[in-house]
Amino acid sequence: MINLSLKRVTSVWIIAILVVFVITAIFGITMRFNQGGDIELSPVTFFSLMTAHGVTMVGIWSVAGMMAVNYLMARYVKVSTAVNVFALVLTVIGLVMLWTSTFVGYFHAGWTFLYPLPFFVAWESWATPLFLYSIAIFGIGWTVWTVAMLMQIYKKYSLAQSFAWQHFKRGYLVETPPFILITTVSLIGILICLITAVILLVLLFAEYYSNGTFTNDALLIKNLTYFFGHTIINEALYLGVATLYELFPEVSGRPKFKTTWYVALAWNCTLVFVLTAFFHHLYMDFVQPVGLQLVGQFASYFASLPSAAVTVFSIVILVYKNPIKWSLTNTLFFIGVIGWIIGGFGAVIDATISNNFVLHNTLWVPAHFHTYNAMGNVLFSLAFFYWVANEFAGTKVVPRSEKLRIGLLLIGGFGFVLMFYIAGAYSIPRRYSVYPDELALGRNLASYGGWFATIYVIAILLFLGEIVNKCLKVFSPRSSAAA
Amino acid sequence: MSKSIFSKIICCCLILSVVQFAQAQKGKFDFSEEKNVYNQIADVPVLTKDGTQKLSVLYSRSPLIVALIFTRCTGICSPLLLNLSEQISHLHTDPKENFKVLVISFDPRDQFEDMARMAKQYARENDPNWIFAVTPQISELTSSLAFNPVWDEDRQQLDHEALLSGINTDGYVTKNLIGLRDQQAIYSLIKSINNEFILSYPLPGNNNFLSCFSYDPSTGKKSWSWGMFLLVLPAIIAAGIVTILVNQKKTLHHN
Repeated sequence: MINLSLKRVTSVWIIAILVVFVITAIFGITMRFNQGGDIELSPVTFFSLMTAHGVTMVGIWSVAGMMAVNYLMARYVKVSTAVNVFALVLTVIGLVMLWTSTFVGYFHAGWTFLYPLPFFVAWESWATPLFLYSIAIFGIGWTVWTVAMLMQIYKKYSLAQSFAWQHFKRGYLVETPPFILITTVSLIGILICLITAVILLVLLFAEYYSNGTFTNDALLIKNLTYFFGHTIINEALYLGVATLYELFPEVSGRPKFKTTWYVALAWNCTLVFVLTAFFHHLYMDFVQPVGLQLVGQFASYFASLPSAAVTVFSIVILVYKNPIKWSLTNTLFFIGVIGWIIGGFGAVIDATISNNFVLHNTLWVPAHFHTYNAMGNVLFSLAFFYWVANEFAGTKVVPRSEKLRIGLLLIGGFGFVLMFYIAGAYSIPRRYSVYPDELALGRNLASYGGWFATIYVIAILLFLGEIVNKCLKVFSPRSSAAA
Repeated sequence: MSKSIFSKIICCCLILSVVQFAQAQKGKFDFSEEKNVYNQIADVPVLTKDGTQKLSVLYSRSPLIVALIFTRCTGICSPLLLNLSEQISHLHTDPKENFKVLVISFDPRDQFEDMARMAKQYARENDPNWIFAVTPQISELTSSLAFNPVWDEDRQQLDHEALLSGINTDGYVTKNLIGLRDQQAIYSLIKSINNEFILSYPLPGNNNFLSCFSYDPSTGKKSWSWGMFLLVLPAIIAAGIVTILVNQKKTLHHN
């Protein structure tokens, strides 16, 4: 049941996420212009921006997916607004702490805060614990929220039904909607990586407060960091895919997607494989056994293939030679799938061990993850934001700037990631504040990338204005009266 | 039923935690090869057959393997030098990998004549790659290498580790070897003082009991360690939480 309080908290989430996204995207653009030599930042400022940009982007697009599925879940099960508000408050507190640690305390160990970097204090001494506490605050809020959502799912569905196992047999009585299947798989994945983050933080705090009596194993911490970081960003994208399964047919005027045996199999496989794909981040760690490196490579193939193949197949079947009511919502979903596939393909290339020897720590890495985030996950969430804002406002008026927005988004977004791909193909390293003369190509591409990203942000601002305006309508007295 | 499965999972976790703790208490490693690496050796004056010169003059010409011994040693010094000499004679090193062996005494009773006699015993008195020396500033030298010999009054001997320190041409300790080591270890020491990349992984110490893998240097056996369990633990905990959530529905229906 979607009530007014759920609409209001969803509105606050959407406005907060879009505003923080634009600010954080500007951090990224500033970094690209600095790499391009258009502006001059101190290395500390550059790496503080890089740290804030990375953690904030991972955070806001994870909660964007959670917020979207939380809203749509209310169609099937009862959801808790109180827990939703709790997560929102902790996310805001965590964000303030995070930005304080990076911009006031100058913590700049990167979003991966790879051990032992956080303990080699090159910033205010209080910034390290503040940064770690900010991650802990995010973790508490999101873990409680995830468990609360799973609790509601399991009040209605059995374990087997939540994973759609009955679809492997004939003559089942209860059908699991694809939205519930994908949401369950993704939320369990998110729960696992949030527990991993808890273990990671406990180990880091143990060392921080032990005065040298306890030290961590660098390889273990790296494994835990990427288990958490790699997995959460993938699961966040799958939450976006869950909203696509729920809304794409609906806004296109087509029948709802059905769960079939292959859809069930694909998403069950995804749960397993996405949890082991993170080993591909440790190819350069020679002490990691070769067996685990191979697990990383093959899990990367198998994690992306079933879910992407089934989703693309479902979308193509739905769109091909069928009358579709195209709107901004389903256009954004459609482009998002293209971005996801291109980014995923780039990821699989990099996850192949022989290629990783060439591409490791080059700009190919930000190329692929910016593609499936900025042109995949962000667009899935933006499609939801746009759809739900229209629901709140009760209007379906097609804006005059529809084509302009999509055009700017495509040119800006794909132009921006293309500069990363070209630079990666030429082995331009990532995480450089400025490029020396030997890497002058990286400088030029960074500058072009900055301009393309500016076009992308202009498109987002055009969306933001309309979406915020419509979201604010749920706070009007008329909405209260209608409720 | 689910409750009992969950209880069993929790029990297994607790048992594994206790075993892990016991394991952590059992392994008491005290390897110090990583100690002092990348510190600079003290630039003390050394007396060799070519006269007195600063140590920096020696290491700036070619990287050094520094062997710390004393001539009255009745323990490890002689096997250390014999082993080093034998391993080096069997090495097929790259011509680019140049080095000299500096055998230096840390016993104040040793004079240069004692060291010259020792060179003769090992048939290295005319070998340009072997330098036998004494220094008047022993404590500066030993402390810069974190080498701490202890005087044993009963045995009238200096108790010490069998240490070989690798010094590059900038005077930095790039690698230490403790004990009588095989050809591969000596070769990696030579590569390291020639500023070549050497794969290394510190062994877990007393304060580091959650490593991914463990290594027993006495047997050379590598094995999985308890840190790896932490990579599986999140999935086990999540399975436990989901079991509780599923069970909660049954409880609600039952009530």
